[in-house]
Amino acid sequence: MWAAVALAGAAGWGFVALHRHETISAAWLVLAAVGTYLVAFRFYSRFLADRVFDLNDRRATPAERLANGRDYVPTSRWVLFGHHFAAIAGAGPLVGPVLAAQFGYLPGTIWIVFGVVLGGAVQDFIILFASMRRDGKSLGQMAKEETGPVTGMLAMVAVLAIMVILLAVLALVVVNALRDSPWGVFTILCTIPIAILMGYWMKVWRPGRTLEASAIGVVLLMLALVGGRYVAASPVLAPLFTHSALTIAYGMIAYGFVASVLPVWMLLCPRDYLSTFMKIGTILLLAAGIAVVLPPLRMPAVTQFVDGTGPVFAGKLFPFAFITIACGAISGFHALVASGTTPKMLTRESDARYIGYGGMLMESFVAVMAMCAAAVLDPGVYFAINTPLATLGGSVEAAAETIRGWGFQVTPEQMTGLAAAVGESTLLSRTGGAPSLAVGMAQIFSGAFGQGMMALWYHFAIMFEALFILTTVDTGTRVGRFMLQELAGHVWKPLGRTSWYPSIIAASALVVAGWGYFLVQGVQDPLGGINSLWPLFGISNQLLAAVALCVGTTILIKSGKTGYAWITLLPLAWVLLVTLTAGWQKVFADDPRLGFLAHAALTAQQVAEGVVDPARGARLIFNDRLDAVVAIAFMLVTLLVVLASAREWVLVLTRRKPARVQESPFVETAYAG
Amino acid sequence: MPGSRGARTRLDGAGLQEALRPLLSAIRKIAGMPDYPAYLEHLRRCHPERAVPSEREFYEEFVRSRYADGPTRCC
Repeated sequence: MWAAVALAGAAGWGFVALHRHETISAAWLVLAAVGTYLVAFRFYSRFLADRVFDLNDRRATPAERLANGRDYVPTSRWVLFGHHFAAIAGAGPLVGPVLAAQFGYLPGTIWIVFGVVLGGAVQDFIILFASMRRDGKSLGQMAKEETGPVTGMLAMVAVLAIMVILLAVLALVVVNALRDSPWGVFTILCTIPIAILMGYWMKVWRPGRTLEASAIGVVLLMLALVGGRYVAASPVLAPLFTHSALTIAYGMIAYGFVASVLPVWMLLCPRDYLSTFMKIGTILLLAAGIAVVLPPLRMPAVTQFVDGTGPVFAGKLFPFAFITIACGAISGFHALVASGTTPKMLTRESDARYIGYGGMLMESFVAVMAMCAAAVLDPGVYFAINTPLATLGGSVEAAAETIRGWGFQVTPEQMTGLAAAVGESTLLSRTGGAPSLAVGMAQIFSGAFGQGMMALWYHFAIMFEALFILTTVDTGTRVGRFMLQELAGHVWKPLGRTSWYPSIIAASALVVAGWGYFLVQGVQDPLGGINSLWPLFGISNQLLAAVALCVGTTILIKSGKTGYAWITLLPLAWVLLVTLTAGWQKVFADDPRLGFLAHAALTAQQVAEGVVDPARGARLIFNDRLDAVVAIAFMLVTLLVVLASAREWVLVLTRRKPARVQESPFVETAYAG
Repeated sequence: MPGSRGARTRLDGAGLQEALRPLLSAIRKIAGMPDYPAYLEHLRRCHPERAVPSEREFYEEFVRSRYADGPTRCC
């Protein structure tokens, strides 16, 4: 039976390999991915569970020992799988693969599938396992206890830094999707009163009735989506909701601040529920759509842009494909979620395998589906949507000409026709991945569930992406605020009080100013902000993965499993190689499209020649240098964490330090075997 | 006839709610929502001496603590 599964997977890869220059069906990619996942889950994750982690169902889990009916709750394996998946899957696995599709669908897909099997899923599994053995402690606490306070502190600073870059880049994705789009802006604005209504419903009018409120919220959201079409068509209303990128960016910054200061029940919690239901629903819908349509992949398997001349983002296939796709292959952020609510809900130790390893495979599958949705588009259309305006040229004719120069066919009529079909004035240069994903999804959905609804499906997809990105923006700002308050509390006690208003307002303002600065910088960036911000995000996310893998390795070595330490050392080495190479190139490369410092030098030259206004030039140069400093700081933090951990490993291996982990003591389970 | 099969399986409002409870509880857990009935059950079993909070008190405490430490969701 397993031989058959393995054969099916191999057949998928084989077919993809043999038909590289033809249009093939997405079915082959899905078959290759699923076959690989199943074999990896059956054999590799079982090896990890039985041989490396010694998962023991006689050992009581935190959910059993510390049961409190609230967060420590023994939960059935399948329900917890859903809970964990809803917590880890977000915009990352959807956007990254779409951007990386500029290299063709094959490199990204290979990385997504093999990266997850050997890297991402191992990371999630080991962190979930470690947290489960430590009463559900967080990554930061485990780093502190196992490798010392320095690593713990660095991990916290790293999380805060990632949060700032992450929020900026995700906000930029939304800004690019919503600029000059009255339909999109109207629908997204409606989510705010809908969430507040749900908040009052759940707290004041019908306390605790969360499902009722969510059902009402989803219905209202659909009405807002349909209503957006009439707003966009109305000559009176449309101008009220048509805004430039900069206005939308400032609007989001203001929103992030207000959401961080308001009580959670009013805005953040209801949005969280709403976006979770939309997310699960849409992902199921996308899977169904791909299964029904089995769309042909029009994008070539590999494009000429592997040489680093790609218009979507600069840089060669190595290392940038592996930085652009973080979530879906390996995502350091998951280490925070896998040491959050999930470890407190495991009923049996062996469930950790299904949820930690299996949950991440599921996210990887979402990334493969996103890659399919991007590759379904005509390559010409894909590049017209994802290339910055400066490269493309201002008009559809110029854009078509530029793209023809790259060897892809697209006509001006095709682009104007497509924009009209999805209810937008233009689709040119809507960078950031979300709009091209939405066009791909709209094509798949309208193919599967009835033609003629392209515009509705497009805006459905935009609404769903914007909804949960904005939810990340408000939860992220809040988490950043708490961390900042905790750090500031070390300096002056009252600042650490998370309910003291002056401290709340100051910390929220600082966090918002942090990501807001990068957002505005991204909006004004002549190369299109995605080009500089997305790699920074990928690097920071992989840096966190390196921290998590260091903690995992330390735990393996301390628990006498040094012979198996390669399971985390292998992905760690790869992540370091990729992150440090990419970081180095982003800072020091000679190509001004790629290197921050080279771009600063080019701008200085342009100012001297009088091509660029000096004030604007000074700002651009400052931004380039700031980005360079951020990238260097990320690399330094990574190296420090690795060195601190390596020191610990050497001490333990040379027996100068006892090989003892900080696990909670064994307690026999009371559950029947 | 009281207690007959027909009467017991008839789905009135309370019966329907009872039948759907596992499903609703699963949806709540997946979305990270508070599960008041499960909490009552836990209190009854493990701490029968404790005062029972109202649904609103339980909801407020749950929401406050859930969003108070660390990220609850990934990007």
